[in-house]
Amino acid sequence: MNLRTSLLVPFALLLASAAGCSRPFDIKTAPGLVELQDQEPSYAYRAISPEGVAVAVKVVDLEENQGDLAFWERATSLRMNQLNGYAMLGESDLKSRNGVPGHEMRFGHDESGKPYVYTLRVFLTHKGWPSKGSRLFLVESGGPRDEVARYQRALDWMETTLEVD
Amino acid sequence: MAGAAKAESAPMASPAAPPAPPSDVAGAPGGPTSPALLAANDVAANKSVPDSPHSAAMLIYTANITMAVYQVETALEGVEQVARDAGGYLSVRLDASITIRVPRDRFDIAIERIEKLGDVTHRDIKAQDVTDEYVDLQARLKNAYAMRDRLTELLARAAVKEAIDIEKELGRVTEEIERMEGRMKLLRDQIAFSTITVSFNPLAPDRVRESSMLNAFPWLSNLGLGALLDVH
Repeated sequence: MNLRTSLLVPFALLLASAAGCSRPFDIKTAPGLVELQDQEPSYAYRAISPEGVAVAVKVVDLEENQGDLAFWERATSLRMNQLNGYAMLGESDLKSRNGVPGHEMRFGHDESGKPYVYTLRVFLTHKGWPSKGSRLFLVESGGPRDEVARYQRALDWMETTLEVD
Repeated sequence: MAGAAKAESAPMASPAAPPAPPSDVAGAPGGPTSPALLAANDVAANKSVPDSPHSAAMLIYTANITMAVYQVETALEGVEQVARDAGGYLSVRLDASITIRVPRDRFDIAIERIEKLGDVTHRDIKAQDVTDEYVDLQARLKNAYAMRDRLTELLARAAVKEAIDIEKELGRVTEEIERMEGRMKLLRDQIAFSTITVSFNPLAPDRVRESSMLNAFPWLSNLGLGALLDVH
């Protein structure tokens, strides 16, 4: 390694680190899925497997008093269950890797007679001083039921890596 | 000629017997007068038909139900099971709809059980009164039997030239009798077994617009598999 390279490597690492810090969350992509680049603005992160199993994270900035975690649990549940026609298969409380409480909802849905499953996890964090607002994290995963079952270990692992800020 | 006439009348109702009265149709003692009226598999159906069209309205019940469900295949199986439990049978099964026939006296309970399989978005139940048509058919059938009997008698005594015309008329009357018997058999079947058609559809998009609270957060509508799996 020459002098020029040795100077560039830390700089590149610094840039990469800065890019990573631009997201208020961290999630690791499991083997078998690839992270997609140039996603629509609504997705802060999206990864997909060749078989069409996808994991995505959305971040919504909320103003002060724009609902607590219970409110958004209920709102998203209503949206999926009663308006989109998804069947609620189960729900449970959970925590992110860094201890932020959240809620998980598991849904089933048929498309052209083929069963799909969809999981939505909701986390809420407060931005902290000087802001009084909060951030809502929506972590979605889903795909054809059989394929999701094959990728379940990878999806579970990705869930354990999630940190929200 | 007499022999020919006898041979022709053999597969039909006995000329001596009157046309089937309503009580015969309902499976009263003595049974139907014409073998063509009742095939073996119609016996069960006839038990549910009123004894006389004059004593009770002859109603054909049909139901069309649209439902939103999670797994269409499971729901189709569920509807088929309802038919079996009610002593009915499957009529038509397609990808997202199913038609079953259930005995009339199990119609209400079958509907009740089907509606528990998902969210009912549309229900259309009809009762069609066919009493007048049935009574009219009976009267016309009685006349047709009488006409056939007279023609058969005439044929036995007719000269060759007249016999050709009589046989032609006899053929026409026989055809008419068979058509009316067929129609009456169909009506009895439709009365005895109600028809229930269930279609499975996703919830209509219009219902999304009904909620003003959720529309206040447009990003909520981008949740779900549609957007998640739509990779460009």
